[in-house]
Amino acid sequence: MKFHWFHLMPYPELPETFKDDHRSVWVDVPSSLFDPKVGHRAYNDYLDELEYADSVGFDGICVNEHHQNAYGLMPSPNLIAAALARRTKNAKLVVMGNSVALYDPPTRVAEEMAMLDCMSGGRLVAGFPVGTPMDTVFAYGKSPATLREKYYEGVKLILRAWEEPEPFAFNGKHTQLRYVNVWPRPIQKPHPPVWIPGGGSVETWDWCVDNEFLYANLSYFGYIAGQKVNDGFWATVDKAGKERNPYRCGFLQFIACAENDAEAERLYSEAATYFYSRCLHVYPGFGNPPGYTSIPTMRAGIESMVARSTRRQDVENLTWKEMIDRGYVVAGSPESIVQQLDHLTDKMHVGHLMVLCQYGNMSKETTLYNTTRFAKEVIPKLRHKFSEYEDKWWPKDTLDSIAEPAPLATIV
Amino acid sequence: MLTGENIKLKNGRAWRVYSGGTGPTLLWLHGLGGIAASDPFLAALERNHRVIAPLAPGFSDLAELDEIGNIHELALDYDDLLDHLGLEGTAIVGHSFGAMIAAEIAAHFPRRAKKLALLNPVGLWNDAYPVTDIFAEPYLQIESMLWHDKEARDALAARRSNAEGPPNEAERIIAIAQGLTAVTKFTWPIPDKGLKKRLPRIAASVLTLFGAEDSFIPARYAEDFAKGLPHAKTLTIKGTGHMLPYEKTEEVAALVEKFLAS
Repeated sequence: MKFHWFHLMPYPELPETFKDDHRSVWVDVPSSLFDPKVGHRAYNDYLDELEYADSVGFDGICVNEHHQNAYGLMPSPNLIAAALARRTKNAKLVVMGNSVALYDPPTRVAEEMAMLDCMSGGRLVAGFPVGTPMDTVFAYGKSPATLREKYYEGVKLILRAWEEPEPFAFNGKHTQLRYVNVWPRPIQKPHPPVWIPGGGSVETWDWCVDNEFLYANLSYFGYIAGQKVNDGFWATVDKAGKERNPYRCGFLQFIACAENDAEAERLYSEAATYFYSRCLHVYPGFGNPPGYTSIPTMRAGIESMVARSTRRQDVENLTWKEMIDRGYVVAGSPESIVQQLDHLTDKMHVGHLMVLCQYGNMSKETTLYNTTRFAKEVIPKLRHKFSEYEDKWWPKDTLDSIAEPAPLATIV
Repeated sequence: MLTGENIKLKNGRAWRVYSGGTGPTLLWLHGLGGIAASDPFLAALERNHRVIAPLAPGFSDLAELDEIGNIHELALDYDDLLDHLGLEGTAIVGHSFGAMIAAEIAAHFPRRAKKLALLNPVGLWNDAYPVTDIFAEPYLQIESMLWHDKEARDALAARRSNAEGPPNEAERIIAIAQGLTAVTKFTWPIPDKGLKKRLPRIAASVLTLFGAEDSFIPARYAEDFAKGLPHAKTLTIKGTGHMLPYEKTEEVAALVEKFLAS
């Protein structure tokens, strides 16, 4: 198995009364709530945490893209990944990813990701999410009626731009370019592995299986709620007659690792409550605009994670016990967590586990404690799992020797 | 009662077109909810008119939208349809999104419309009183926002239920989502797609009707339409919302008929 340390980069100082005073953490949350000095500290703490995850042996460190919100402060995950490229050595940079439909032309994404792959020595994993409706149709004004076709076309263009050695013309429905000729080019050939974060759209399963992309089920609601989505994905794999290789699939899980259950509650319950009651306080109307969810997905009765998060009664007043019982947070001693994750990864059949060891307003100190115990006491027990499968969704061309940043004093 | 038929144009495009009634022809372009055969407003108009009511592209099949990239291509599609139906210099009555299409047809192809009645029209934007972002509301709340007269809303639901049987709630939500998806294609994120510039091209005589209590398109948009259509007759109906023709069916039908007869 592989383990990835995922940062959402929440704004950590939303007021206590936030959910009573504001209708949404996303789209129209007043930017006057953002204190840039808090932002300075948060970004630097968060970078420290991601770099620490590299140093304690996580396989990947994950960043993602969101706009106009206090849930996650990365409008540009590429900026964060660029900073990480210099101060990390081993962990792959899992950019989860760039919302392709937001960029005109989408070759901008191909360029920046190629830069990241070069800077990091071939450590990039290229994630291409459609993007939440809050980010794409509300914050960035893209029509939900055409968002997905623009996204599909953009991803095709990016992959072709990486693969073709000569300039070509692209006459698309949403992008027309006379000269596509991306400089720089990625180290990885033909291109970095492609991961698709999904929230339960049925067409995404087919798309991933047909194109050999990894499908990452990003759930805030644990494996019990996420099971239906994974079952649908694996049924699609079976139908296509492809190998049930667990490395085709990723899953995101909140972790609260401590000495025992009582310490986990003491250390992590406030931060988890902050996440579920403030970071997920999305106005329901922003969660599922017409056209964002396809008719087949509506018919399949699969509710997207975003839509689900807007059912406020389900998320905003959770007790710690409920978060545990429902599997939203996997908590307890390392032994208990090993057992729970062993069960989870069996049920979900996932080889790539993304963990959230920081969430809500969790301090750096607590985050590093959670991360350390997980890295030292959980990962080694599960590392061997699925070793009979080949991971074909992982960087293979990473350079043997990665350039070190020169010490500043020696430059002069 | 309307009857529907599927027709296919020379260009291969499929349309579903409802029709009913006898008298001078009137083209009806529906609003956000599509067309029901039991539509009471059309029943009122059918008493003195031959009503022809095409279902807007996307409402029955979203794939119909694939080849219609923008409002101009939509206007071209309607032009092809009107050719097929042999309609020129006709009376066009549109509601909401349908009124936007009606205005666009009349602006793109001035000879198509002789009379144009726009009921709660979408299509303009004024920073001082923005159109409400109904798409940022849960589906079932959108419906209730559109009605000022809730008794009229319940009466229409009962009428439909009598005519078509009790609704399947899941399918009803899917139908709402599908229709609104088609609307977003031409109105997202702001419904100003250039109609303001094109209004002076309209050669038809125009009646605009607004609901004084419309919480989607504020009645003040009457002023914006009047600026581009200085000869239009403009009326605002008190005590009605966006569902004007269904909230005051007889009164609005009488106003439209009087205008068409003038």
